[in-house]
Amino acid sequence: MYGRHASQLLKEIDSSEAGQLAPFNSDVFDQVIRECNEHNSQFQSLIRKMVEQNLDIETTRNEDHYGAAIHHLSLLRNKRCLMAYMYNRAEVIQSFRWKVGPVLPHDIQEKLHFSEKEYFKNHSAAIKSYISKMDIDLTVDMVPPKDPYIQVRVLEDIGEVSLGDHSVSLTKNSLHFLRRTDAEQFISQGLMEEFLE
Amino acid sequence: MSSWDDDETAASAAEAATTDVELLKRAWRNEKAAPEVLRFDSPLVSRVREQIQLLEETLNDFADSGVDDLVVSLYQMDLDRTLFLLRSYLRLRLQKIEKYTMHISRSDDLLSRLSPQERRFAKSCAEIMEKHLEQSVLSKLPYGYDSVTRQSLSSTEDDMVPEPQLDTFVFCKTKSDVGAFQLDDIGEEVVDLVADDLYVLRYKSIKGLVEGGRIDLI
Repeated sequence: MYGRHASQLLKEIDSSEAGQLAPFNSDVFDQVIRECNEHNSQFQSLIRKMVEQNLDIETTRNEDHYGAAIHHLSLLRNKRCLMAYMYNRAEVIQSFRWKVGPVLPHDIQEKLHFSEKEYFKNHSAAIKSYISKMDIDLTVDMVPPKDPYIQVRVLEDIGEVSLGDHSVSLTKNSLHFLRRTDAEQFISQGLMEEFLE
Repeated sequence: MSSWDDDETAASAAEAATTDVELLKRAWRNEKAAPEVLRFDSPLVSRVREQIQLLEETLNDFADSGVDDLVVSLYQMDLDRTLFLLRSYLRLRLQKIEKYTMHISRSDDLLSRLSPQERRFAKSCAEIMEKHLEQSVLSKLPYGYDSVTRQSLSSTEDDMVPEPQLDTFVFCKTKSDVGAFQLDDIGEEVVDLVADDLYVLRYKSIKGLVEGGRIDLI
């Protein structure tokens, strides 16, 4: 049935958790593209047939017209599904820039199509350009502040880091009392966690 | 004594900051609740940034002159809260621009609500998204079906641009008496809006009142 492969792509989007991406389904994607081009050539040949019979394309209503209409509408549905698939994935990719940062971890990168990797890079650059023009970092401070300083426990060896006017040695499992804005970048990368008693 | 003068200027700076911070909080709440991007309050943002800078300098002075730790942390928390509001306000707007980039780029009215930096961002966003969609999907589709904004050559208008839902319900509170207010075009639903009352209305109906500052979204 026409449009079945395209709806598979939509089901994939629907069944993944919010903010998560499944690996790019290039098999089904390419198949839908092939279907589109198939529909188009069928459409063109039906139209050609009507023209050769000297029928007015705009007004004639014979079986060729309806066949052509079905191909046209199936093509449109496939296009809408493909666009929805790419667009929804692009929205999740946008959210990664805010949640994870300008560099994506390897396991996310594996799931992206080549064009999506480029999209992420360009989109990140646009955000970075805005941040530097406004001279205010928008990627920290994602949660309303309760205390200016928080206690953190380091999850992985980070080494010597200079924060403000002094440097701290962040070794695994050490506890530190840091400024919230300094600690946030490490917390969002999963290298530290807030120590709550 | 100069230390009293410093205290006074710091205190009055903190006071002036509260009124502007209240305005910022209001702008932030409105932006959070509204489905579309609202007008950028450029003078407010500039004033808030100046006050943030003043607070930061005051804190540096405190660090040098050894003021009591409690006072320092109070000023620090005030600074943190103001910074959070400002960052969140700008972030909310940016994320709305991200979401409706193509719709915003085509509307002069919406573009005029953005700051110049936001306008530049909106334009890049739209270009980047278009390029991505063209590269991955549209270049592989047959001629006549390869437009980003239209389904095909036979579409009469741009039917593939996502738009915000303007008729979602929002919680709102009136600031002053508005009186009988018409909710829809036909004149069938009329609501009497009294000062300081809470309402749940469709955003589209009260859009004008929000812009005019007579109603606040919660």
